[in-house]
Amino acid sequence: MPDTTSRIQEEAIGWVIRLRNASGREWEEFTLWLEADPRHLQAYEDAALADQDFERLPAGAPASVMVPESEREPRSAGRRAFLGWAVAAALVATIGYVSVRPGESRYAVETGAGERRSVALADGSRIDLNGSTRIVLDRDEVRFARLETGEALFTIVHDDSAPFEVEAGDALIKDMGTIFNVVHAEGAVEIGVAEGEVLFNPEEEAVRLTPGMTLYKREGQFWVLRGEPASVGGWREGRLSYSSASAGRVAADLSRNLGVAVGASPEVARKRFSGVIVLDRDPERLFRRVSALLDVEARRAGDGWMLTETGGTP
Amino acid sequence: MNTGLEGVFFQNRAALLRFVRARGAADAAEDMLQDLWLRAAAGASGPIADPLAYLYRTANNLMLDRRRSELRRGRREREWADVEGLGSEASDAPSGERMLIARDELRTAQDALSGLGERTETIFRKFRLEGVTQQQIADELGISLSAVEKHLQKAYRALMVLRSQSDADSAGGGVISQRWY
Repeated sequence: MPDTTSRIQEEAIGWVIRLRNASGREWEEFTLWLEADPRHLQAYEDAALADQDFERLPAGAPASVMVPESEREPRSAGRRAFLGWAVAAALVATIGYVSVRPGESRYAVETGAGERRSVALADGSRIDLNGSTRIVLDRDEVRFARLETGEALFTIVHDDSAPFEVEAGDALIKDMGTIFNVVHAEGAVEIGVAEGEVLFNPEEEAVRLTPGMTLYKREGQFWVLRGEPASVGGWREGRLSYSSASAGRVAADLSRNLGVAVGASPEVARKRFSGVIVLDRDPERLFRRVSALLDVEARRAGDGWMLTETGGTP
Repeated sequence: MNTGLEGVFFQNRAALLRFVRARGAADAAEDMLQDLWLRAAAGASGPIADPLAYLYRTANNLMLDRRRSELRRGRREREWADVEGLGSEASDAPSGERMLIARDELRTAQDALSGLGERTETIFRKFRLEGVTQQQIADELGISLSAVEKHLQKAYRALMVLRSQSDADSAGGGVISQRWY
């Protein structure tokens, strides 16, 4: 009966809406509703999956305003090759990008500890947020993002006329058609490039970063290391790669990825580590691995973990 | 271990089990509870305002993920539909090609949404993408709660139609979204 079908659908959508901010009690009511009719589950799943699909849609203004004319070109495999030489052209044509806008067009996207989220932008670009991360986007200015804290991987579709800019603390990163990862935590900024090219602080140092390069910046100083492009943004696949990173840094990354506090004693925090840590859902197993790789002792501390020196030996 | 969360989990174990069963877990219900605990514990660091709601939400997401991977297995030939390359199956970075496909899908969805009128689109975006509550939207626009709900219902129906169409003609690729864990 079509009437029943549409009633069920309406109820299912109603649940998708309610459950976004539901109490435990409402979840119990939802359980009862599911049990009441076998068709309810199917209807709910259809609605919930459509809802999830939509998560990837660009936040902000209607498409007509946001999609740049240059992005309406016919698409082909040649597009990818195009990205290559467009980089050179973009270096010349990136002046006059105004970044001051009325405050109300800005909005924040946040993740809790251990949570991850992906934001699709109107131009096809994407930002993947690691846990405990906050970014600010601008509805009027789609080629802008500010990483207030945490870690994000930017997969940016190139547009000659409007380079994408990322602010992280006092660092400014200008993209040239690129995949790059930015960490902003405790006053330090780290920028890793997987593909394409970015320009660090274009108005000042103007350091050009190419795939595999990682720039670290802290208190006005910065240095660049070379590594594997493939390891950049590896957190999305549960891999954390390091080249001579401090164990303190490793602890901070683990904390962000796992959603629990991970501390390191001062002696351990100074240790250097190169290698790859593969994340694991089982914290016991993961920290056994961390303990072996970093040659430290890992033990539970409250809700989180603490890394200390092994058996008191230096 | 987050003892507060653990307590709530064990107190409500039966209700959560009943919930994952109602959500279609069938024989896997006990396993799902195990997964739920691992995921919930991993995702919780600071204090959680409403631990029970958090557990239900996590369980619900688990079941949705499960459903999604079932659907994906059911149409191997459309692997590309996993355009965003977020899944563990797709370890390489998304190529320009894939991004273009993703963009097409996004545009289709946007068009569908714009077709519903500006007010519906604005309300839906605020609610779904910016996390503004129904009550806040109602206050902001000076309309009733049920009016807000009507707009949201309309938008969701359109998205569901879109999803069923793209499933049917196998051109749209319903999977434009995927969660991590």
